[in-house]
Amino acid sequence: MIDRRLFMKGTMGAAAAMGVGATLGGGFARPALAQEKTVTIGGSIPLSGRAAETGLNVHNGYLTAIKYINEELGGVEIGGEKVKLELQMVDDASDPARATTLIQRQLDDGIDFYLGSFGSNIVLPTAAIVDRAGKPMVQTGGGSDKIFTQGYKYVFGFYPRATRQFLSTAAFFGSLEPKAKSFSVVSTNDAFSKTFAEGAKNDCTAQGLTLLKEYELPAQITDTSSVLSSIRATPPDILVCTTHDQNSLLIARQMIASGTNVNLLYQALGPQLASYREALGKYANGITGATYWEPGVDFKDKIFGDTKTFEEYYRRNFDRPLAYHTAGGAACIVTYVTAMQNAGGLDPAKVRDALADIDIMTMYGPVKFTADGDADPLVMGAKVFQIQGSEPVIVFPGEAAMGKASYPTKPWGERT
Amino acid sequence: MTIFLQTLADGIVLGGIYSLAAVGFSLIFGVMGVVNLTHGIFVLCGAYGALIVWQGLGIDPLLGIPLVMAVLFVVGYAYQRTLISWAVARSSLLATLLLTFGVALMLRNIMVLVFSPDIQSITPSYAFSFFRIGALTFDLVRISALGASLALLLLLALVLNRTGLGRVIRATAQQELGARLCGVNVQHVYGLTFGVSAAFAGAAGVIIGIVLPFSPPDEVPWTINAFVVVVLGGIGSPAGALLGGLLLGVASTMTSAFIGPAFPNVMTFLILVLMLLLRPHGILGNAFAGSR
Repeated sequence: MIDRRLFMKGTMGAAAAMGVGATLGGGFARPALAQEKTVTIGGSIPLSGRAAETGLNVHNGYLTAIKYINEELGGVEIGGEKVKLELQMVDDASDPARATTLIQRQLDDGIDFYLGSFGSNIVLPTAAIVDRAGKPMVQTGGGSDKIFTQGYKYVFGFYPRATRQFLSTAAFFGSLEPKAKSFSVVSTNDAFSKTFAEGAKNDCTAQGLTLLKEYELPAQITDTSSVLSSIRATPPDILVCTTHDQNSLLIARQMIASGTNVNLLYQALGPQLASYREALGKYANGITGATYWEPGVDFKDKIFGDTKTFEEYYRRNFDRPLAYHTAGGAACIVTYVTAMQNAGGLDPAKVRDALADIDIMTMYGPVKFTADGDADPLVMGAKVFQIQGSEPVIVFPGEAAMGKASYPTKPWGERT
Repeated sequence: MTIFLQTLADGIVLGGIYSLAAVGFSLIFGVMGVVNLTHGIFVLCGAYGALIVWQGLGIDPLLGIPLVMAVLFVVGYAYQRTLISWAVARSSLLATLLLTFGVALMLRNIMVLVFSPDIQSITPSYAFSFFRIGALTFDLVRISALGASLALLLLLALVLNRTGLGRVIRATAQQELGARLCGVNVQHVYGLTFGVSAAFAGAAGVIIGIVLPFSPPDEVPWTINAFVVVVLGGIGSPAGALLGGLLLGVASTMTSAFIGPAFPNVMTFLILVLMLLLRPHGILGNAFAGSR
């Protein structure tokens, strides 16, 4: 959608309304906040560039929680003092090199707490910098194994590492009736996609599925015709695409426009976006994806009260559709605040220890990290959704399911 | 055999899009010697223009091509007569590299502000149609894109070879001083060349917008592709752009099918390096003097 007002309102407008410092530019000067104790949380986020669509969703989550805490609650009690939060997110333009420079600058400016960017390729180098500096980072943008297997002590993520993210999806594939026998994997040459594909191959094979072919594409693709020709020649039951939003949309579009049918199309990122579903229209029905949160499932939360309040507050203040990345962004702040309260102050090392021990319920769902800092896959694992009637409907696991999966899905030309 | 023929057909279709996207870049490089790094932005402007035409005016994006071309012609003309011409007059042709790079950066960020960084798609009713000939499958939109590319390239060739405008462009490109002595307003011709180039980039953008999802950062690959196409095919002529685009498209799909889908970009740059070493003027050679 072309909606300049929406974009301005959703990002700069909200940032300005909250007195958020230096959200889009450089410059980290702290605004004078008349004698109020304020804790600054920094970080970079893609507000432009290739990852900006989801980056904006994550950013809006951060903004929502900060706005709610400062304006609705008047701050939070930490170590016996009322504290307000200040957010200093800077636009890394989806560029890891730029992100590392900006984060180093924030460290030099004395910021002690960090939120994550979006995309493992950006989170990975910035995590290395803050960990070396002994400052905590809570992020909902990176799931690559490399973020959690380098021995970092200060980095916490809202996703299980990529090779563990596929467990529930593979279990879903294993539960399909009639039984799916084979799968192929399409990945791109980036940190998340490659490791996620490794996890997908291992977990699907463990479910008894046979890997027919795997295709690794460049990070940015403009044509997949030759890959689709190969898929038409040897069609798998399930096609797994561990690709990012824009690449997933391109693959789905070319599959439809070349009559490339499989029994089930799964895409790791893309189908969760309203713009993806809108672009594909009726053809989106039947496509599956993973989600870590769905609107309408109510959880208790110590800041917002419950998920419903969060949803209503977000919709009152932002025009962008609510995505699971947005809820995850807000939950990062809730988690940080809880850890600061549990630590009894703002010492980064103590807050880090409190984060490592955290085991709470938030409006996003339960939050608990493994010893390596990634999300506990049993507590925070993905749910599988299928687009039905142009809306995502959770179909797995059974206890969270809101509908039944359609399998095998109809050929593209027969979808309604 | 089917895979080979399908890959060849896919490559030709992809190449048609590459050709149209590159011809404007080729023309400016050939006539003026300017490497226009704003080219990808013009292509994206065409895609966003098509989005406005389709969503805002309810007009089929392909029917909106003349409107998009007209707007971009004016933009291109004004761009050359102001920024480009000032930069060349005050410094050198080399300064245009920095200038066009800087303008591209600014315009990319303006696009983010105006259109948001979200991924956009243009999906008219025929966007997902396809047909089969024997065992080969053809995406109707991409075939339409190839047809539109060929038609527009033919139109440009006719303009350059059969019209007064084409004659003065060719005259200016071949011998600027001679053209001046014959009373040609060279600055005006340069402006017209830039305008024509931007218009064709915009037309390519309309087609690309129908074929691919797009967002502001996507301008970079279209500038790079244009550069490779003109180095491959030859600079300054629609025929060179067509040949270069088709070869690049076929090389890209063949590499993906028979070497590995991870390698089309490697092949693209390998071709670029080899051509620069072995035949720097491209297969058809330089049509005009500007780039020599």
